[in-house]
Amino acid sequence: MRTLLIGGSHQAYFAANAIREIDPEGKLIMIEFTSEKVEVLSKTFPFAEVILQEINEVESYIKGNASILDAVISATESDSLNLRYCKAARESAVPLVISILNNPLNQEIFLKEGITYIINPHSIIPIELSEILGGSANILYRSPKNNVLVASIKISDERLLLELKRTLDQSSDVSAVFVSQAGEITSSLNEADLGGRLYLIGSERSIDKMLKVARKVVRR
Amino acid sequence: MKVSVIFPTKNREHYVKRAVRTAFKARSVQEVIVVDGGSRDRTLEIAEREGARIIVQSDLVYPGKGVAMRDGAYLATGDVLVYLDIDIRNMTPEFIEKLAEPVINGEADFVKGCFERAAGRVTELVAKPLLRMFYPDLARFKQPLSGEIAGLRTLFYKVEFERGWGVDVGLLIDFHKLGARIVERDIGYKDHDMKPLHALTDMAYEVAGAILRRAIRDHKADPRWAEKYLRGVRAIDLGLESGRGFA
Repeated sequence: MRTLLIGGSHQAYFAANAIREIDPEGKLIMIEFTSEKVEVLSKTFPFAEVILQEINEVESYIKGNASILDAVISATESDSLNLRYCKAARESAVPLVISILNNPLNQEIFLKEGITYIINPHSIIPIELSEILGGSANILYRSPKNNVLVASIKISDERLLLELKRTLDQSSDVSAVFVSQAGEITSSLNEADLGGRLYLIGSERSIDKMLKVARKVVRR
Repeated sequence: MKVSVIFPTKNREHYVKRAVRTAFKARSVQEVIVVDGGSRDRTLEIAEREGARIIVQSDLVYPGKGVAMRDGAYLATGDVLVYLDIDIRNMTPEFIEKLAEPVINGEADFVKGCFERAAGRVTELVAKPLLRMFYPDLARFKQPLSGEIAGLRTLFYKVEFERGWGVDVGLLIDFHKLGARIVERDIGYKDHDMKPLHALTDMAYEVAGAILRRAIRDHKADPRWAEKYLRGVRAIDLGLESGRGFA
């Protein structure tokens, strides 16, 4: 796989290491805008080819190399640049175009511009907090590719438990495990008690429906 | 030459419609960009509805005017960039045309707007004395902190954007350092809110920091002197400890 990673931010640092691990034989090309950063990146990532480019030249580079690129990942410190470069990659028909956002508030703007794969490094904050603080219903992971969702629901009352049992029985595309307050894990909801947490993995559509049920019952 | 007008903004829903419409009426304007600092009102929604391109600035720092200006420059596609405060109550297309024309006509690479108003307190008491000390060529500008500017887009990619209030004077110094042709243009009367004194204190420190960081960078000030006299006075980050120097 041939991947172009643009930017030398700390997000790019994690991206570069992840790419190396996922695809050790692949070719990683990194672009940065100052010679000082290019030097640092070359030393930090000896497995990558690091190129110095001016901000305005990157789009031409993408267009010129689009036919040999499998993925473009834009991880600069500016979401404006990320948007520009992702749009150039998309227009050049690069198969995978990924942006790593600096500001989560830009997610909707990127989606409107047709950027499908948007990584929001801050999205983990509310999820982790909700798990730690015992939030009622929590989406733990939404797969960017396969419409798969992982979620957790706090079993706060009998009605909710009954509703969830009924919905689970009717859903063939969702699996569940229950974690009791004491930390015991079971796959049988018959052993579920109040105060524990139900973990669900399955189709986005079905789990979204169950989360709605949970929120509705909690509101009541 | 095509012009991009950029409005850095935050919670300005009452101004954005008029500002974007006015900008589109100016000659050569091909796009209007609203860079938002995390508004909690309808600023972005209105801007988009009026045909502006929108983006939220990459860092939600306060004050983040410099980050917003940088992100606006990076998103723009015009040959000439014009920056304006969005809350100018008497904004007309002529404001934009007066700023852009020297660049379009090839008379200047960077235009600093000035207006009919007594120059501000930070300008007179902080910016001008420091500019006279370190960059005397720039002391001729009536309003070196003016946020109404225009310039060649490609040159904005070669300068350092301060993150906050120091951005305007920082750009002036950096364009000067690049050897750009800089002119000042009177854009007339500007009906605009004055900042209260407590807000000016932070602004003054940021402006001083921006000038001093550049004076050190350009070997016009001895960093040891700056360290001795200025570090710790207040939050003037001279970048001495981190070696960062710039945001």
